[in-house]
Amino acid sequence: MSARSLDPHREVLREVGQGLALPLPHRVRILRELSYDLESLTDLLVGQGISAEEAHRRAAEALVPDRAALDQLGRLHESWYRRRTRAVTPDRLRLVERGALALATATVLAVEGLALRRVNLFGDPSPFLVPVLVAGAVLSALVLGKAFELFIKGDHARPRTGLTTILAVAGATLALGVGGTVFDLYHLAGTLERTPALAGVLTPLWLGRSAVLMVVALILSMAGALGWFVLSHWVSLAEGAHREVLGLPHPSRLPRRSDHVEAVE
Amino acid sequence: MSDQGSDDQGFDVQGFARDINELLILSSLRAGAKHGYQIALDVETDSNGLFRFQHGTLYPILHRLEEDGLIQGSWSREGGRRRKVYALTRRGEGRIQGGTDRVQTIASRLLAMLRPPGEATA
Repeated sequence: MSARSLDPHREVLREVGQGLALPLPHRVRILRELSYDLESLTDLLVGQGISAEEAHRRAAEALVPDRAALDQLGRLHESWYRRRTRAVTPDRLRLVERGALALATATVLAVEGLALRRVNLFGDPSPFLVPVLVAGAVLSALVLGKAFELFIKGDHARPRTGLTTILAVAGATLALGVGGTVFDLYHLAGTLERTPALAGVLTPLWLGRSAVLMVVALILSMAGALGWFVLSHWVSLAEGAHREVLGLPHPSRLPRRSDHVEAVE
Repeated sequence: MSDQGSDDQGFDVQGFARDINELLILSSLRAGAKHGYQIALDVETDSNGLFRFQHGTLYPILHRLEEDGLIQGSWSREGGRRRKVYALTRRGEGRIQGGTDRVQTIASRLLAMLRPPGEATA
């Protein structure tokens, strides 16, 4: 049996991975390098007549970074942003980051409003247009915040956190647009039931309002969904590489709870 | 590399040890590009076991040298496995020369202090 087929280094790599508070791509590169060296050195020692177990032990002793070495690697590969903000206390940094996120939301909202005003779509808006714009601004802030966390801050402790929220807010933005259009339609129908003579005036107005509301809701929700897709795809790739180097199965290939119960029975 | 050899800054033993490790790695790469454990093995073999990298101390040094542009890391495939190979850069070659001169200066001063007066230095 080849020393590699025993694969006892995976456990060691998992421990090293847990000790590296680094962005996933950096973590993967370090673990991949270590994995190759561990396997190669083990093979070399086994080839020299040393038992596989002893070869694994010696290879791990020589190559697996201890706490001090892991700390050094952590400092070397930490993100530019973390280096720059090392002197700032975590509480203060969190406050600044949240302030920046709120500012980004307000800016997006202002830009949305100005853009609609410029093309004169605020003339007779649906009452649902402002909620859709607010949801769109929140959505943009969520996407920007997650992108900042993943690519600038390099905080990959829980990379999937917040992704579902982005998708949910994108869905809510679209739902607000559709719901608003339907609500406006019922409102129009009620008015026309009472005063059918206004049909020629109110119907084109409703069409205009609904078109604006739906277009804005669709654009914002699709942009948010696109942001979600890009971010979650990137996280999937990074997590896949991490799982591969650690020899962990894909979550979809993990045994289901029902399988486990059946096996026990 | 630190200036621990200079008189006005004093002598930093830890920095000197780190510089020695860096020089050992750089000089090992003069023979050609190598991957991590091969560098460690060669340093140990070439020094008759005097210098050994234990507990993964090799990697922070390699990555720092790479960041400083003294060595260049590149990924390749071998037997379906991905490995990282390091090669010495021109800047790294220059560092070996400068570092060697400084180590020689420090070692000479140290020996001059340790040897009895009148004994010839090597």
